[in-house]
Amino acid sequence: MAEKNSSFSQSDDYASGAGKAASKEEIYREWVDMALLAPLRVAWNDWRTQVGSLIILFYVLMGTVGVALVDPPTEGQGPRLTTAFQDWSVPLGTNNLGESILSATVHATPPMLQMIAAGAVFSTAVATVIGTVSGYKGGAVDRVLTTLTDIAMTIPGLPLIILLAAMFNPTNPAVIGILLTINAWAGLARSIRSQVLSLRDHSYVEASRIMGAPTRRILKDDILPNIMPYVLINFVNSARGVIFGSVGLYYLGLLGGVHENWGIMLDGAYSNGAIYSLKGLHWLTVPMIAIVGISFGLVLFAQGTEKLFNPRIRARHAETVEDTAPYQE
Amino acid sequence: MYIVKRVGQALLTFVAVVSVTFALVRAMPGGPADFIRAKVMRSGGSDEISMSEINSLTETYTNIDPSTPMHVQYFNYVSSVLQGDLGESIWYNKPVAEILIDAAPWTIFLLSVSILLTFGIGIVLGAVMAYLEGTKFDGASTIGSMFLNSVPYYVAAIFMVYIVSIQLGFLPQSGRFDAALQPALTVEFVSSMLRHAVLPIVSLVITGFGGVAITMRGNAIQEIGEDYIRVAHLRGVPGRRIATRYVGRNAILPMYTNFMISIGFMFGGSVILEQIFAYEGLGYYLLDAINSKDYPLMMGGFLLISFAVLVCILVADLTYSKIDPRISDTGSREAY
Amino acid sequence: MTMQQTHTAAVEDPIFEVRDISVSFDMDRGESRVLDRVDMDIQRGEILGVVGESGSGKSMFASALLDAVVDPGVLTGDIRFNPEDGRSVDLLDRSDDEDIKDIRWRQIAMVFQGAMSSFNPTMTIEEHFRETLSIHGYDVDEGMERARDLLSDLYLEADQVLGSHPHELSGGMSQRALIALALVLEPEVLVMDEPTAALDLLMQRSIIELIKEIATERDLTIVFITHDLPLVANLADRLAVLYAFEFVEVGPSDDVLTGAKHPYTRALLNATPNLDTPREEMRPIEGSAPDPVNVPDGCSYHPRCPLADDLCVREDPPLDSSDPTDGHAAACHHVERVPDEVPLTLQEVTVDE
Repeated sequence: MAEKNSSFSQSDDYASGAGKAASKEEIYREWVDMALLAPLRVAWNDWRTQVGSLIILFYVLMGTVGVALVDPPTEGQGPRLTTAFQDWSVPLGTNNLGESILSATVHATPPMLQMIAAGAVFSTAVATVIGTVSGYKGGAVDRVLTTLTDIAMTIPGLPLIILLAAMFNPTNPAVIGILLTINAWAGLARSIRSQVLSLRDHSYVEASRIMGAPTRRILKDDILPNIMPYVLINFVNSARGVIFGSVGLYYLGLLGGVHENWGIMLDGAYSNGAIYSLKGLHWLTVPMIAIVGISFGLVLFAQGTEKLFNPRIRARHAETVEDTAPYQE
Repeated sequence: MYIVKRVGQALLTFVAVVSVTFALVRAMPGGPADFIRAKVMRSGGSDEISMSEINSLTETYTNIDPSTPMHVQYFNYVSSVLQGDLGESIWYNKPVAEILIDAAPWTIFLLSVSILLTFGIGIVLGAVMAYLEGTKFDGASTIGSMFLNSVPYYVAAIFMVYIVSIQLGFLPQSGRFDAALQPALTVEFVSSMLRHAVLPIVSLVITGFGGVAITMRGNAIQEIGEDYIRVAHLRGVPGRRIATRYVGRNAILPMYTNFMISIGFMFGGSVILEQIFAYEGLGYYLLDAINSKDYPLMMGGFLLISFAVLVCILVADLTYSKIDPRISDTGSREAY
Repeated sequence: MTMQQTHTAAVEDPIFEVRDISVSFDMDRGESRVLDRVDMDIQRGEILGVVGESGSGKSMFASALLDAVVDPGVLTGDIRFNPEDGRSVDLLDRSDDEDIKDIRWRQIAMVFQGAMSSFNPTMTIEEHFRETLSIHGYDVDEGMERARDLLSDLYLEADQVLGSHPHELSGGMSQRALIALALVLEPEVLVMDEPTAALDLLMQRSIIELIKEIATERDLTIVFITHDLPLVANLADRLAVLYAFEFVEVGPSDDVLTGAKHPYTRALLNATPNLDTPREEMRPIEGSAPDPVNVPDGCSYHPRCPLADDLCVREDPPLDSSDPTDGHAAACHHVERVPDEVPLTLQEVTVDE
């Protein structure tokens, strides 16, 4: 399997007579290229990643630039329950309080983005650390961590989150984001662990160990670059989980702390009878579209990284590594 | 021996869950004791009520007597749980166990049908997509699956309630069965039960099968490229059999973990889903309890759901080795 | 080409007559020809060793013999298969699907490198045998008897092996089990593509010995593909050397080993490591094999050949350019000068009996 290994190329320790040792900077650049840029280059090649990224970018813009351009929702911005595309001052219509739906949607985005970022980063980081250490170390460490992971995986996430939310009433979006992923990391940790388990028996890892490379370095150079695709895909999945979870909880009225959220809009629409007539349709569907839109963007992006799981393609896209594979039968 | 280890692990997990529950009950701001006192006072009891009475009331409801030392509380709580005594619901004034046992089969019914359909449809679709890789069908199905997978199940639920129940009036909007009927094994009752179950199940399945299909497609495509498929073809094995016994059988194996995770997810999801459909299952009561601060019921529901998930995962883990001959009990390897 | 003998005429009773076959792939960067208009006859009952580097087209040749070239590769040309008991068949006549299915495995079987991955991981070895037997309409019980015999001939514990799953067997065991599976329908031809490459040296040797035994016992024709010249040296009756998707030399093993006519073959022999050869005398071949999309004009070996001249750059020498009356042919314009200009460094090439 043509997986990437650069522990061997890191010869900054011995200044041998034959040929010059690579400088630290070159080594670093090669690592970045192999582990990050090359995967991104491969992924970018796929139309799904491109479209997915565009969609995500759109939301990011909405949450940053958009918030400045569009007024925050206030009552009476327009006549109550105007449907969409009627009145251009409230292009997407208004709810039963006359608040502009467009404003509400746009202004719900920044806290949502914060939640997503916090939650995804948190769960991915925790899962990667635990999964990698557990898979690599083995023995007692592994058993303890695996039991921990199993416990986290068994306790059903949503009820626990609801419970904790009801108890602690978090208001900071970042905290909410982390709360929402409180047991989402377990699944990722498990799959990273099994990937690491199969990696650690590869000969280049054993070679590094024999050469006396410290564990930290082996993890960084031999193992980490090869689990990047999994990490990436799970980052995206966690993000989706945060979206679904947060909107769901806001819909149920179990979370507070933010003024606007697509879930709150859904709740408003549902409980104020928007569903009983066609007049409230826009109130219901606009947030739905917002939710599905960003999820779809994330899913597309994740799907586009499918090729990353084939390391041979990745090697051909790295620019600093020679294309070494001759035609193989 | 693996079985013993695994069951032991499950027990350990369950104990952990019970402990977590215990800790949560104790950590609750304004805990059950205060709530009970407030409730008693509000319901027109005497203005002063002694601490010991409150404590004993609390104990009746939650199996925890706040006046005793922590470890005694813990012990009492755990032993009650193991005996099946989950306390008494403050709101309903009935034993928690009774309420939950009545609700549980409905949730299990809903979820098992949903999971089976989701995986059934997803696996078959994924396999077909893999065989037709590159065709328009594959392309369209992939996008369709991705799209459906991007819709949260509750959004699908709301949307369907809107269209199917309210606008079109085809299927009922809420409840487990028609309130006018008595539960019985009559055709009328069963069909009412089924009609009420359709929308919740469809919401879960429609938003779930896409992800399964895409994963299965990936697995199958990978298997198709393997050597043994080529050899089987050379040996004369007919295409049909290759598709099922060779590709299919081997591609399904990794899905097992997905299956396990889905079980946990669906139990959690039942909370929101049952709320939307006012479907009185476990999730419904759990949410209900949270909203009305009915601590015993809350804790009991939580415990029961955790227990159900645990059992499902345990069964899945133990049966895995039966279907995948490649797995031997590996455990942890040499420690580095 | 007047009365010159062709290398194919040297084969008196051909079980295969391969004419002008090519395998090409359409790649983004151009058409890739991994087998280039190759002719070869294979003698009934012989063991033919096909030798070449990685990427020389040898696996393609093996696949071609069963008309089993992997998609999207396209196989063109003519292959005539002459079974002992039956009419001669045009293998590449694809009008009737049933024909080739009848022949594959029943009359021509194939064994790959990496035996373990040739089995279905979720089926036992026994299931593989039963399946193969019943698909081809054989009496399963009788067939299983035969299978057991085959397995013990190959020094395997029949019951243990049959009841196992592929991953439970070691490399050597699974390779032998695969050979048994290939032979269970009693084919006439066995094509073996690097069957020993993944095994340790001792196992390699013993499998080669086994192959020799069963070849004589069962009157098999064997086509043995490998990159390892010394390995096949004492197994094969004839050797055929592939370079850049064409055969560059073919002839009886002894002749080829002691008196190779093509510069590449000689260089290959020189490059073979020998425990006694001091390091300074080891001679790898300079340069690298051509890219199938970009094969050099003229003789494909000329960029690496010490004898190359204008003629070699312009014209591709045919395999028969060396007047192969003794059945020993080489594709080189300057066959006469080769022995002097590319001396063999091995003191003696011993051929074990």
